[in-house]
Amino acid sequence: MKTNKILAAIFTSTLLLWGVSPAFAGDVTGSVSFTGTAPAQETLNMGADPTCASAHSGPVYSESVVVNDNGTLKNVFVYVKQGLEGQNFPAPKEAVAFDQSGCHYTPHVLGVQVGQPVEIRNSDATLHNVHSLAKNSKEFNLGMPIKGMKLKKTFDKEEVMVKVKCDVHPWMNAYIGVLTHPFYGISGDDGSFMIKGLPAGTYTLEAWHETYGTQTQEVTVGADGSAEVSFSFAG
Amino acid sequence: MPSKLPILYNLKKTHFWFAVASVILLIGLVWMVFKDSSREWKGYQRRFMAYMEQKAENELQEAQKAVDQKQLEKLNADLEAAKKAVAENAKAIKTAKGEFEQATFKADNAKANFQNLKQFQDSDKYFYEEHRVAGEIEQAQSYWDKIQKREVELEQAKLELEQKQAEMDAKKAALGTWTAKETELEREIARLTRDITTVESKIKKYKATLAKEILNAPMLDFINPSLRIQQIVVENLHEDYFFAKAEKVDRCVTCHLGIDKAGLEDAPVPFNTHPRLDLFLSANSPHPMEEFGCTSCHSGSGHSVSFTTAAHTPRNEQQAEEWKKKYHWEEMHHWADKMLPMQYTEASCAKCHQGTVEVPEAPKLNEGRKLAETYGCFGCHKVEGFERWKVGPGLEHVQSKLEPDWIVRWLQNPKDFRSSTKMPQIFHLSNTSDPASMEKSNAAIAGIAAYLMKHSAPVVLEEPPVKGDPAKGQELIETIGCLGCHTVGGNAANHHGPELSGLGSKVKADWLYSWLKDPKHYYAKTRMPNLRLSDQEASDITSYLLQDKNEKFESTRAPYVKPEAVHDLALVFMTGRMRYEDAEKELEKMSYEDQLQLVGEKTIAHQGCFGCHDIAGFEDAKKIGTELSFEGSKDLSKFDFGHVHEIEHSRHAWIFQKLKQPRIFDRDRVKPYHEKFKMPWFGFTDEQAEAVTTFVLSLQKQDIPLKMQKVLSESEQETEAGRLLVSKFNCNGCHTVDGHEGKVRSIIEDLGNAPPVLTGEGAKVREAWLYHFLDQPVTIRPWLKYRMPTFGFVHEELTTLVSFFDHLSNMKTNYIGDEMPVTSQEKMEAGQQLFEMFQCMKCHKSNPDPALSASFLAPDLVMAKHRLRSDWIVDWVYDPQALQEGTMMPGFFPDGQTYLEDVLGGDARTQIEAIRDYLMVFEPGKEKEEKPVQDHPAQQ
Repeated sequence: MKTNKILAAIFTSTLLLWGVSPAFAGDVTGSVSFTGTAPAQETLNMGADPTCASAHSGPVYSESVVVNDNGTLKNVFVYVKQGLEGQNFPAPKEAVAFDQSGCHYTPHVLGVQVGQPVEIRNSDATLHNVHSLAKNSKEFNLGMPIKGMKLKKTFDKEEVMVKVKCDVHPWMNAYIGVLTHPFYGISGDDGSFMIKGLPAGTYTLEAWHETYGTQTQEVTVGADGSAEVSFSFAG
Repeated sequence: MPSKLPILYNLKKTHFWFAVASVILLIGLVWMVFKDSSREWKGYQRRFMAYMEQKAENELQEAQKAVDQKQLEKLNADLEAAKKAVAENAKAIKTAKGEFEQATFKADNAKANFQNLKQFQDSDKYFYEEHRVAGEIEQAQSYWDKIQKREVELEQAKLELEQKQAEMDAKKAALGTWTAKETELEREIARLTRDITTVESKIKKYKATLAKEILNAPMLDFINPSLRIQQIVVENLHEDYFFAKAEKVDRCVTCHLGIDKAGLEDAPVPFNTHPRLDLFLSANSPHPMEEFGCTSCHSGSGHSVSFTTAAHTPRNEQQAEEWKKKYHWEEMHHWADKMLPMQYTEASCAKCHQGTVEVPEAPKLNEGRKLAETYGCFGCHKVEGFERWKVGPGLEHVQSKLEPDWIVRWLQNPKDFRSSTKMPQIFHLSNTSDPASMEKSNAAIAGIAAYLMKHSAPVVLEEPPVKGDPAKGQELIETIGCLGCHTVGGNAANHHGPELSGLGSKVKADWLYSWLKDPKHYYAKTRMPNLRLSDQEASDITSYLLQDKNEKFESTRAPYVKPEAVHDLALVFMTGRMRYEDAEKELEKMSYEDQLQLVGEKTIAHQGCFGCHDIAGFEDAKKIGTELSFEGSKDLSKFDFGHVHEIEHSRHAWIFQKLKQPRIFDRDRVKPYHEKFKMPWFGFTDEQAEAVTTFVLSLQKQDIPLKMQKVLSESEQETEAGRLLVSKFNCNGCHTVDGHEGKVRSIIEDLGNAPPVLTGEGAKVREAWLYHFLDQPVTIRPWLKYRMPTFGFVHEELTTLVSFFDHLSNMKTNYIGDEMPVTSQEKMEAGQQLFEMFQCMKCHKSNPDPALSASFLAPDLVMAKHRLRSDWIVDWVYDPQALQEGTMMPGFFPDGQTYLEDVLGGDARTQIEAIRDYLMVFEPGKEKEEKPVQDHPAQQ
């Protein structure tokens, strides 16, 4: 009897070690394709604020749907929705950069961990306000009138996605995915994304896009430490 | 010795029957005592105790589970061991005890010695002082010597005492080491099993035992019975027994044993807890049980202790049946103050809460009051404390608005034209639907129309000067504020004004256009405000509203009116004040038109149309209905149930029935037409009728002592006056105010476009500004399409509203305005610098370009110095989200900190004050205006 118990204890602790051991973690890579016809990009009229208008030499487009040249979809937020329950990931100290430049938010979509600071910067010589419409965390609305000024903000609760807007420049908006863990990726100019260092296991991934909604997919990160997934949104 | 007399009866038989009779009497006596002692309430108390015992048993199990049994076992074992150890060392302990006792004896001796010496010393000191003061030096000297001598002894005795006491403490400690463990363990066990002990004592309290039963037995139950009648004596309230008054006694708690005990929420009736202990019964609630009792709110017979005689009243038929089976309940037919059924309990709140528009936590009563106000009950019925306005439109100019034929068809049954109308049906109801009555009613209706046409003056109407666009009209209605009072199409946030339907089948364009442009032009007392519509806007709305026609109504025809019916009705009215023959003669002289006029005038007087409508010729007419000021306490015998026997014999049942079917008590009665009941039918739903019944029941004659009533302070009275105006003009239709959410908010998608929330308005704006704004509103929020209308308030109304907002924000009304804050040159300059740096003028423009997107628009800051309180500006700039969640105004001081460390010493508060100070002198043109570029340069 006693030996059985000891064996069981060893077995369980080994399993636990497996679960969190970085030696068995891998990267999930993938891409987001786009089918159908891409909608015509909406041209923004920044005439109301001369500072904004003069920051661009050509026409400026809305970022609500950005289809890359290779037929992939930009600004899709892919994250682990299920499979990490009960685990704790301390919030990184380093801040996530979030800039207001040329009367645009860059990046348009970003991810951050609960408690991790977002460094909001105003690179424009005009008044911006960063109005977070968070539902789970406390809403905030900060005026940033000075070029180059920076503010740090954190979110207290998980929320996919928190919309951020500027009331002075109604075309400006961005989305922040607030998670309790660091496992997310955002599709870039080539439609690819990467979720780094995900422990071995089976997870549900969700891909979120501001116009086309969400999709989910299961992914298993094996002992060899990597997996590949692909999402596809239709226009 | 007299000789033996002959016995005239049979001794044996007599003895036999005597024995039988004795046995029967004995049995009778026992039965009587038993019967007398076995009361309904005792059964409830026994069941309650059994329930509580069971509950305690369960708690005991829980408590036992909660105790760590292993720990307890260990402690007990340790205790045993400790006790054993004590027993084993009995000899040593005995020695230690002896030593301790000896030491104690010695210490006591030393103490006595010391105190003895001290006492002599004090005495000598006294004599020494006495002699010295008296100048007897010698004696004084001799005492002084004594004192000096004894001082040494005393010192020694003190040292001795301390030493002995120290020895005693040491011996005590030595003895203690033997028993310390035992004491400690016992304490530990008691702590661990504390919950169990509490529950066990509870069980003991509720457990039925033989001893308790004996004490509850007849004849013995005067000693200390566990079953006893529980009662609350309410000292301040009195029960009227017609010839005597006695303090109110409520014995309800004899059976409702858990009513004031938290934790019995799920117990079976009647042992369950009152659902609102926070409001009632508990000692720290506003209505403690000892002060208010039970029947003050619930009514019923408080001193009775049986289910039936307590005058319990069932909620409905179904419950009545259930009670009959379960409790052998029967209605106390002749008991006047029956318990209020649960759905009407709120009626009692008004016994003490008077003079307020609403009673807190009494939603049904409030709903009833509001309904009575909306449906114009006070037009016919006088109710003290409820003096209100006429709810219907004035008819003094009705000939410019309506066709007589339309009036006739409308009066047949107004709900046929518009089902949501508040105008009740007056004619062709259950007691007047026989052919003869209908003929008379149609004559009366024709008379009313004729009278109104003749006795109304025309007003000048204007045709829409431009062609209206119905699509634009619809958009205007949905966006500028009409929905703040009216229901239009599917937009049903408000039912304050009439639903705007079927207008194409009612009025003409000139009337509607003129009405929209200036409602007071047609009817000076109308509550409809002026939205300051442009000619185009008014034309658009007119064209949209006239599109909607009620085809079904249009296809109806006015009924044929028999001249004889007009004649007969006129005769009835005339014989009221003259002889039949004279009346006949008089009538012969009159033309048909005159007869019609007479019938119209008398019908209006008879039906009391003037209670809701201003009608020429009825300016001083008296209300026609029964006064209802004390209807809720009116003697039940004064309610005429007629031949209606199927309803319960109670006030609430009668009132509810009257509201639902106002003519039902005429059923099976023989009455002439004009003597029949005339209360009109409002079409109340059951819920509405229940609410109005609650209100009517709340109207009671009371002699509640002043200290038990809610007495309004002066400021509370002013607040209530404001509340009444808010109700009259439906401010709440648009604005969130006084704790009620603005009604239109439910149909506005983006609440940034909703009319402003007025919570905290009194702390925000200045009195003088508010007064003028309410009088002549101007645009404050340029992005809002909703328009604050011009109500045409009179001076008293304006000051009442201003005070109302002040009171709600705990502000003292002061029209002079607060003093200008003290500032400095440095602050002013910093203020301007910050003002420009924060680019306030980017949004707060004086003359915003209408082409700009809405989010660029913010209130004109030039207005601020007249409009806003200086303290409020500081709070607002400090954290706008805290005052108005979701506002577009950004905060420039995140977490109360400034990011401009070199301005005014980097102090956020001082910087905000500087902005405020600059705002107080800010004039347009001072700021550098940016010229917006209308389009992208690349695209030009």
